[in-house]
Amino acid sequence: MSAIPAPISSPEREWSLPSRGKTGMLNLILAESAIFTIFVISYIFYLGKSLSGPTPVEILHVPILDTICLLSSSLTIHFAVAALRRGKSKAFLFWWGATLALGLKFIEGTAADWYQMIYRENFSIKTNLFGTTYYSLVGLHASHVTVGLIGLSLVFLLALAGKVKQQHAERCEVFSLYWHFVDAVWVVVFTVVYLVGR
Amino acid sequence: MSAYSETNLSSGERPREIVLPARTAWPLVLAFGLTLVFTGLVTIAAVSLLGGLLSLFGAVGWFREVLPHERHESVPVREEVIVIATERREVARIQIAPELQRLRFPIEVYPVASGIRGGLAGSVAMAAVAMIYGWISQGSIWYPVNLLGAVVYADALQLTAARLAQFSMLLLLVALTLHLTTSLLVGLLYGTMLPMLPRHPILLGGVIAPLFWSGLVYSVLGLVHPLLNARINWWWFTASQIAFGLVAGLVVIRHTPVRVRQFVPLAMRAGIEATGMPEEKRDKGENR
Amino acid sequence: MVSQSLPQAGAFGEHAQSAPWLERAHEWVVTVDHKRIGLMYITYSLLMLVVGGVEATLMRIQLAVPDAHFVSPQVFNVLFTMHGTTMIFFVTMPILFGFANYLVPLMIGARDMAFPRLNAFSFWMMAFGGLLLYFSFVGGSGLYGAGSAPDVGWWAYAPLTAKAFSRGHSTDYWTLALLVSGIGSIGTAINLVATILCMRCRGMTLGKMPLLPWLNLVMAGMVLAGISPLTAAQLMLCIDRYLGGHFFDTQAGGSAVIWMHFFWIFGHPEVYILVIPAFAFASEIIPVFSRKAIFGYPIMVAASVAIAFISFSVWAHHMFAVGMPSYGNAFFVLTSMLVGVPTGIKIFNWLGTMWGGKIIFATPMLFCIGFVFQFLIGGLTGIMVAAAPFDWQLTDSYFVVAHFHYIIVGAILFTIFAAFYYWYPKITGRMMSETLGKWHFWLFLIGFHLTFDFMHIPGILGMPRRIYTYLPGRGWGIWNMIVTIGVFFQIVAVAIFVVNLIRSYYRGEPASNDPWDAWTLEWSASSPPPAYNFAVLPEVKSRRPLWDLKHPEDPDWKYE
Repeated sequence: MSAIPAPISSPEREWSLPSRGKTGMLNLILAESAIFTIFVISYIFYLGKSLSGPTPVEILHVPILDTICLLSSSLTIHFAVAALRRGKSKAFLFWWGATLALGLKFIEGTAADWYQMIYRENFSIKTNLFGTTYYSLVGLHASHVTVGLIGLSLVFLLALAGKVKQQHAERCEVFSLYWHFVDAVWVVVFTVVYLVGR
Repeated sequence: MSAYSETNLSSGERPREIVLPARTAWPLVLAFGLTLVFTGLVTIAAVSLLGGLLSLFGAVGWFREVLPHERHESVPVREEVIVIATERREVARIQIAPELQRLRFPIEVYPVASGIRGGLAGSVAMAAVAMIYGWISQGSIWYPVNLLGAVVYADALQLTAARLAQFSMLLLLVALTLHLTTSLLVGLLYGTMLPMLPRHPILLGGVIAPLFWSGLVYSVLGLVHPLLNARINWWWFTASQIAFGLVAGLVVIRHTPVRVRQFVPLAMRAGIEATGMPEEKRDKGENR
Repeated sequence: MVSQSLPQAGAFGEHAQSAPWLERAHEWVVTVDHKRIGLMYITYSLLMLVVGGVEATLMRIQLAVPDAHFVSPQVFNVLFTMHGTTMIFFVTMPILFGFANYLVPLMIGARDMAFPRLNAFSFWMMAFGGLLLYFSFVGGSGLYGAGSAPDVGWWAYAPLTAKAFSRGHSTDYWTLALLVSGIGSIGTAINLVATILCMRCRGMTLGKMPLLPWLNLVMAGMVLAGISPLTAAQLMLCIDRYLGGHFFDTQAGGSAVIWMHFFWIFGHPEVYILVIPAFAFASEIIPVFSRKAIFGYPIMVAASVAIAFISFSVWAHHMFAVGMPSYGNAFFVLTSMLVGVPTGIKIFNWLGTMWGGKIIFATPMLFCIGFVFQFLIGGLTGIMVAAAPFDWQLTDSYFVVAHFHYIIVGAILFTIFAAFYYWYPKITGRMMSETLGKWHFWLFLIGFHLTFDFMHIPGILGMPRRIYTYLPGRGWGIWNMIVTIGVFFQIVAVAIFVVNLIRSYYRGEPASNDPWDAWTLEWSASSPPPAYNFAVLPEVKSRRPLWDLKHPEDPDWKYE
């Protein structure tokens, strides 16, 4: 019996598989998105269900500048990875540093906001349901930003020491996926908390 | 066939040693540290502090394990001969169709369209019988429609018999959705099932299945939905089911069964024509 | 068949035989080898199985006769909470992860998992999570009195978990232990997906991958999307209990029902996370002992993926009694019924595989046949309780308990036993005793059916679950007595199994590389496989690469 020649696949075709790092990171992102989904759902579910004040309109300031900073940091980290892939370590250092600075500005903005609300306006996680959901959701995001910032600064320090080479571009790209995810989540959180929820 | 030897799975020389990731305790330290951080929450803060320190050490240790270069260790390859063979040399074939060496089930099916057409035709027949019943018994063709709607829209059953005979848009929509979806699904089922009883498909689809279904509904509806049960005339119910079964079954078997095309290469199924494509006729003889 | 240098007993690694005890333990603790980590998972879960089993036995003794006072009501609450939590999170999940760890790289022709260190980390997180949970018996105020082990049930409904109703730290132990082990589960899932997608040997396209890695891929994907909601819910509970939040605080406008939703969004997919690897075992074992290729491979894969998707839309069928709007009930009834379709397809495929085959009734196959039969019955009672009106009558009764034990014991545990008997020769290089295996199977089968068949009846008669005791004269006594008698059959059977495991390790008949004459790649490595699995990475052309080699005149790849 003769073999039926498979018309499309030839036996000598290339054997290529997806990259481990990227797959792993995308999976982590999948798991993290599930966590965020639950927090976002509970935020939306509890909107307007607080038994006492203050309400979102009374207390929230829309962090436009911080949002712009965080979102543009996605762009800068993209440039940084692209530069590293082409082997331009100076440009990499610049763009990576810019990402770090923008991220720091964002977290500083959140911290200042929280300080204002907690110590000046006496609005804490215990105050009411809105406080609970607000601080949890934004706090969960902020903690992810913080983890990202630790990673960013680690790579930055290594880059300053001249340890980050072209062959590390893949790893930096995997890391940048995480950072893009953190930014994308902020788009959702921002929409839910500051646009819809107010 | 290319780089594929007939006696072994793998081609190429056996290496002397193989590089594997080095063993390390840092993941353990990190895991223990993180657990201690949480344990501190239920015991005393000092435990969390210790856990934090351990986690830091663990993380740094792990980091140095993979950066700048992953630590590896070489494992010498054991000398061994692996022969893959079996004592069960004979291969028997289940005889379904003599010309087929390896068979895919089923050999022939009715096309999907036949199921859809059958379901739709059956639904019309069933609706006709049911409406005749409504017209004869209650003087209104809307009566069975409203009853069907009441299956999911429970409030309808609070209505009096007079109201049930009136036209209601909501109930009509509910009933139509239910009726059409179910009919389509059952029609599709008929399309798949009828080839399994090749000699008397009409007996199965047209009489036995509706009788079974009517019997099942008759026996459980009193428990599940007593209010609805009180309003059903079972002779007419069975008659409408059989009407569906007969019409749907007849429509389905009027189509000619087609051979399954699962074994045909994807490209051919997609309709690509090119040289080197196997002939369909030859194909049939050689596939399971 | 050519047998080659068989390893000596106890030789997992290179130095195993000669090295002193401490050094050997050290080897295991610092390992990043997927086989050793897999074995640690399995050993850990077997120990936990004993713990969870003891808890179950104590409960059954308490319930055997009416008006008993074998344990106190407080202890009873602790027992069912810990039994459920242990069995789900620290027995079944880790044992399945363990087998996945051990088998997946071998079956896809890889040398290790994608992230070996993450693999070790995940195992240790899970292990320490379990220890943290059990530390609750001695931690806190446990030594001084009733113990501070969790006692809020394994689903820990609000507001029972609120600070006001659960004083001390018992609930926190539960939350934190599950958080810790949840991190481990997510790590393992990431690792499995990355391994299966990125480490396959040459030629193994997704369409040629054996079903076990396929189903584990589905399972790992479900863990990512399913365990994370639990982690989120646990974080919220922590915020409530530690920071004074109000997520589940009904006094401040919070909702107790939303905890149920969050818990079951995790809880129902979790059932499929557990059962899909069980399907995987059956799908590997049944063809080998029927001497036929699996029937309907693509449909099997499609059905598993379908189950995974549907299972994320059925969670609220655990909550029919809560009082959802009727369209909510209707939706969840329909989706729950829908799961029956792909599941039914799978059962037919297993039967189709056996049909016309030359069935060999070895112990692994016996357990798999038991599995198919019992899974069908468990599935049918599942369809019954998926109908909302039926569920209103029987919710939170022993009928429901019997139903899910039918799945978890009758289906999942049976296939796990089958997997032990099937892969034991690969893992240790020795066969398990068939005689003891048959004793194990039949005693366990009898015990299982005594316990869980008869458990349905008190449920129908109205016996609620989680009650501490009941009065005589309700007509429940005799059934509960039978149920408890069944437990002792199961204990004897499991004891035989443990004896078989240990005895075969030292005295078992030496196994060749391929004792079952099977077709997947793990049987082409030596038994036990060396640290590197394959000296030369294999290349495959079909779903049954070893069949192709054994029957060069009639290989599979001509037909696939």
